[in-house]
Amino acid sequence: MRTGARAIVVGLALALTACGGSSSTGASSSNSYQGKTIQLGAILSLTGAGGVYGPSSQKGMQLAVDKINNSGGVNGAKIALDVRDDASDKIQSAQVAQTLIQQGQLLALLGPTLSNSAVAVHPLAESFKIPILAVSTTGIHIVPDCNFPKTDPCTYVFRDSLGEETAIPTNIKVYAAKSHPTTGVLMVANDDKFSSDGGKIVANTVGQYGIQLLDTVAFSKTIADFSAPVTKAVQKHPDVIFITSLGGIPAKIMIEARKQGFTGQFLGGNGFNTAVVSNQAGADGKGAESGSAWYLNNTFPSNADFVRNYRSKYGNDPDQFAAQGYAAILILADAAKRANLTFSDTPGDRTKLRDAMEKVNIQTPLGPFQFTSTHDVKQTVWVIAMDGHGGFTLVQSVNPS
Amino acid sequence: MAQQLLNAIFIGSIYALFAVGYTLVFGVLDVLNLAHSAVFMLGAVITYSLVALHGVPFLPAALIAVVACGLLGLLIEFVALRPLRRRNAPPISALISTIGLALIFVAIVEQATPGTVFSWLWQDGANSVRFPSGAVPNPTYHVLGLTIEGTKLLILITSVVLMLVLGYVIRFTQLGRALRAVAENRRAATLLGIQVDRIFASTLFLSSALGGLAGLLFGLAISDIGPYIGRDQVELKGLAVIVLGGMGSIPGAVLGGYLLGLIEVLAFVRFGSNIEAGVAFAALFLMLVIRPQGLFGARLRERL
Repeated sequence: MRTGARAIVVGLALALTACGGSSSTGASSSNSYQGKTIQLGAILSLTGAGGVYGPSSQKGMQLAVDKINNSGGVNGAKIALDVRDDASDKIQSAQVAQTLIQQGQLLALLGPTLSNSAVAVHPLAESFKIPILAVSTTGIHIVPDCNFPKTDPCTYVFRDSLGEETAIPTNIKVYAAKSHPTTGVLMVANDDKFSSDGGKIVANTVGQYGIQLLDTVAFSKTIADFSAPVTKAVQKHPDVIFITSLGGIPAKIMIEARKQGFTGQFLGGNGFNTAVVSNQAGADGKGAESGSAWYLNNTFPSNADFVRNYRSKYGNDPDQFAAQGYAAILILADAAKRANLTFSDTPGDRTKLRDAMEKVNIQTPLGPFQFTSTHDVKQTVWVIAMDGHGGFTLVQSVNPS
Repeated sequence: MAQQLLNAIFIGSIYALFAVGYTLVFGVLDVLNLAHSAVFMLGAVITYSLVALHGVPFLPAALIAVVACGLLGLLIEFVALRPLRRRNAPPISALISTIGLALIFVAIVEQATPGTVFSWLWQDGANSVRFPSGAVPNPTYHVLGLTIEGTKLLILITSVVLMLVLGYVIRFTQLGRALRAVAENRRAATLLGIQVDRIFASTLFLSSALGGLAGLLFGLAISDIGPYIGRDQVELKGLAVIVLGGMGSIPGAVLGGYLLGLIEVLAFVRFGSNIEAGVAFAALFLMLVIRPQGLFGARLRERL
């Protein structure tokens, strides 16, 4: 089926070339798009630890693809999205990326879900010169230095997800200004890039807001029972427990800490920002604050439309990961529209798309969207709190400085 | 520190309960049933689905789940073990076929979302959930500065009582004698008129029911119910526990469970972070070097 479609695309491209119809100016580009397919590949963690996030990204992306295809496509070209599961495993993620890239026809990649996997996948995309847009990776050294510790910028790697380097300090700043905590304990999963990066950011930030870190409780993301680490943290009697970890772990820590009598505040990172985690934490998570890239109840039109369409398609509320996935497709579609693609020279088209992505300036559910010069996102941070019923309330919004 | 010891005892109880079922099958059938961790997971998942999706109160739900897991044990026997035994396949074949069943069980839960065939069983795909608040009363007691949760106390009592009952059954009942006879020598047991196939089926039922119970208690205590809890949290540790205790030995599995819980927690308190698993498995390695038959392993002279 897919091969068939590809054969048609290639056939059409050949036919066009044979006719000598090499339209090169932007004005006539819309005709050459007609009937073509813009092929995108997404590497997402649909199962495993990242299974909390990946399915949301996928739903958001699919919603955007359907919306664009149903309203005439990108200058007449349809978007085809090939989603592959990497099972939250770094090695599997790289293998999936390799497979997708070697199929040869993909214009751009999305993902992978976890920062831990991005370390393997992004350098691969960079070396094959295929644009890759990260939709949920928030760790350090994602953009522009994807080959860290080498510092030369990766020119094909972008992200539309708010980095923890922005989100966590904003979150701490807002809470410190409001409640003046003086002590904290950091609980960090130290065998996962996303989590340990978050931990470093917390440790580097708290001092400037007068919070003393009493202890850092590091643990493995694979442990079953969090009672021992939580006991260690709770017995220090901190004002705040900072949690930088992913999957269901923040929820499990909150539940355990409340059971052990902790009455203080939970602050954390991107790992908090999904309804699944808020739902699992339930009443024990109520009031836990985090910096988010997106907030459900924002009423500006690009978000209101997204939320309404998502609810009618899937029957439940979107989360931040769905919004970022949705935004990613809008970004790629906008870039593709302006890139004057040939649909015959895939390497050339990839570079054209990359160039066009750098100039994206559109409205998304995340707010007005542009990339910085280092291909990172510059946007408002929404500090949100768990509401105890699987949702979130807005604490404060902080505009980019 | 006292609180940490309590933590060790609670998690140790779950390891022990899980490992007892694991070792029972090994002792009687000479087969490692690697689907045991998937049954553990299903114990939690079935209880959750009855409580959260079908409105059954917790206790009847738990009872149904335990019986259902026992029946899954029969499924394992009839699908993965018996056909191979009939063909005199080597034990490794049975090991592989149980891995296959485990993968199927996990995949069923992992793929179940609203609108799919198995949505009556599970609707959260790969996500973790917890029992709805209020479904299980969990009073917390504060004694001598220690925090003791009702659910964890329940786990401790249930585990100890069940392990004692199992010990009694194995030692002093007709079924227990038959089990031990089969474990000792399958052919001799057959000659004595013991229906070996029936003993195998009972063993799988018993073992899986215990595994399912361990799973639902885990879900209750850790607030973590999802398709991977068996595979990620107890499969390898269970194996470590039964090697530590002596393959096929029930007292060994019990002691091994508590020992592993203790080693893990102490290693965490003393060294912190990821050393925890390393220390546990280093202990296992030492045990294999110093005493390969495990704590209670009787050099295959007497089992169970």
